[in-house]
Amino acid sequence: MKKILIHDVTLRDGNHAISHKITKNQIAIYAAAADAAGVPIVEVGHGNGLGASSLQVGESAINDETMLRIAKENLPHSKLAIHVIPGFATIEKDLIRAIDIGVDVVRVASHCTETDITQRHINYVRDRGKEAYGALMMSHMASKETLVDECQKMESYGAEGVIIFDSAGAYLPNQVTDRITELKNNLNIPVGFHAHNNLGLGIANSLAAAEAGASIIDGSARGFGAGAGNAQLEVLDAVLEKMGYITDINFYKLLDAADIAEKELLKEIPRIDSLSIISGISGVFSGFSKPVERISKEYNVDPRDVFFELGRRQVVAGQEDIIIDVVSKLALQKRVSNV
Amino acid sequence: MTQTQKELIHNDCETVTSGLISRLDSLKNERILITGGTGFMGTWLTELVAFLNDNHNFNVQLYLLSTHSHSYAERAPHLARRPDITLIERDIRNLTNIPEDVSWIIHAAATPDSRAHASDPLRTVDVIVEGTNAILEYAARLPDVEKILNISSGQIYGAQPRDLKGIPETFIGGLDCSAFNAAYPESKRIAETICSIHRNQQRLPIVNARPFAFIGPYQGLDRPWAINNFIRDALLGGPIRILGDGQTVRSYMYPSDMAWWLLNILVQGKVGTSYNVGSPEAITLQELAEKIAGQFPKPPKIISGLSKDKALKISKFVPAVDLAINSLDLKITTNLDTAIKRTILWNQMAIQ
Repeated sequence: MKKILIHDVTLRDGNHAISHKITKNQIAIYAAAADAAGVPIVEVGHGNGLGASSLQVGESAINDETMLRIAKENLPHSKLAIHVIPGFATIEKDLIRAIDIGVDVVRVASHCTETDITQRHINYVRDRGKEAYGALMMSHMASKETLVDECQKMESYGAEGVIIFDSAGAYLPNQVTDRITELKNNLNIPVGFHAHNNLGLGIANSLAAAEAGASIIDGSARGFGAGAGNAQLEVLDAVLEKMGYITDINFYKLLDAADIAEKELLKEIPRIDSLSIISGISGVFSGFSKPVERISKEYNVDPRDVFFELGRRQVVAGQEDIIIDVVSKLALQKRVSNV
Repeated sequence: MTQTQKELIHNDCETVTSGLISRLDSLKNERILITGGTGFMGTWLTELVAFLNDNHNFNVQLYLLSTHSHSYAERAPHLARRPDITLIERDIRNLTNIPEDVSWIIHAAATPDSRAHASDPLRTVDVIVEGTNAILEYAARLPDVEKILNISSGQIYGAQPRDLKGIPETFIGGLDCSAFNAAYPESKRIAETICSIHRNQQRLPIVNARPFAFIGPYQGLDRPWAINNFIRDALLGGPIRILGDGQTVRSYMYPSDMAWWLLNILVQGKVGTSYNVGSPEAITLQELAEKIAGQFPKPPKIISGLSKDKALKISKFVPAVDLAINSLDLKITTNLDTAIKRTILWNQMAIQ
């Protein structure tokens, strides 16, 4: 039976859903529950990863160091992982300290066509003897051939696996199958998939990935993540086991962890609201939902128009400051057409 | 660099040259220019020449051309400070004010680091192609050039068929010129062609060496090759992590053998001929990881990223070296077990 390595991103991607305001207590409680369930890898941090807390993408309630220390204390068995986007996180300022604190796994991420920027970070992680993975965000924006090129670069840098992110929740299952198959055929390292549920396909796409050969699948408790959330971890585990995959996770305890997450972490259960669907259809990063909603309301602009315009401009995570530009232009157009 | 490390290098040089010194007599009192002189290969060539100067009165003057001369003094101060070594900091593509009393050239400029090839392929191509052209145009202006050794690469053969025990120099092979990692091997191929053109048109006495894989002192454990990473993982307490399924086949030559072979090819190699330089002792990465783990009192765990049944591409990179062995009477003096032991020892001393 094929083994699937589950990466639990609840305490990182879920941080998007609460505007990066996760607390020490929430981290401690959920990390301990995930550890007890035997979740192999638990990712923790600001939604955009290490060093990303800022006015531009949202300030964390607690700093990276505190988050990682609390998580480490509550993960006696599971590996502690971080998401690192070079630029947000630097080696000197952030990565050295994170590894000193006890991070075991580092997923070095970039926009799917910009993997060149990951080389130094991957090298550093490998030099410290830690596990380094490459993560390609907004992967729906690149062709499968381009993804192969980019993943081969990451493999050459020393990545021990690559994970393609459906950051906008834009994939259909056949597109996932297509891309994962191509990657499997051209790489010598494990391939993974990170789903978002904007079009209600988080689980279906994750299964498509597994069936196409992906051996790393991301999920989060109750789907707690940006936009419409991720593949719901406890559902994912259940259906993977039902399909004959092994995850080595204690299912009952995983359900307990999900209940704890619902009670302690979530203000509301992630749902596919209208904006999430628009985000998926327009191919815009799920994490844009909250700022788009807020700014559109302020300027009395239809947020759906904003999403489609952002999609037309092919914006990527980290370009949240473009929202205000788009909104103000749409507001101006609206005023002109009303005159 | 510690005294023990220096002694280790000295012993290696002694072993490899033992009873054979006279083969290199034509280098006595000569001037040798090594491009890429401060890299791994250049450093070992320098160690060997320094050994010949110190112990056998060769009186060779070395010019080491490199873009990293400034950091060389830190990495190898015992070499950088020698009076018989001159460091020249220059980009190989822009050769100006280079000494004209050079009679032997070893052209080794170009990084074999696959990360650099992936990140900046155009620069990779530029340095190799323009650099080779520049050094040969310089050589053509020299009044007295005895021999030029062009350091090519074993990668020019392309993928090695699984059933081919070792790649001979006659293997035509084939490269996928559009592959993401094609920049380095394709450039090395065109560099050999450039050498061939200069040999034909300028009558330059050029011989090629095609290096494969090496392991030993001076090779950073952060370099992106399996054996370096395995040793680093083991030194860090493990686990040793194999990317892929462990069935990849490689071979590794110890660098004192490499340096000796290269100097012999320079002196004795037949103009217009290409010689493979490497070890024919093939080993899978799984076996290699076990060998390295076995060197430690508490052998680290070995883990693989892929299951064997899912392995799609099993690569092999092992040379046939009969040409060098038979025509130049060369041999391997340090086997893989000893090479691994000495590399671990060297790095342990460096860490301490």
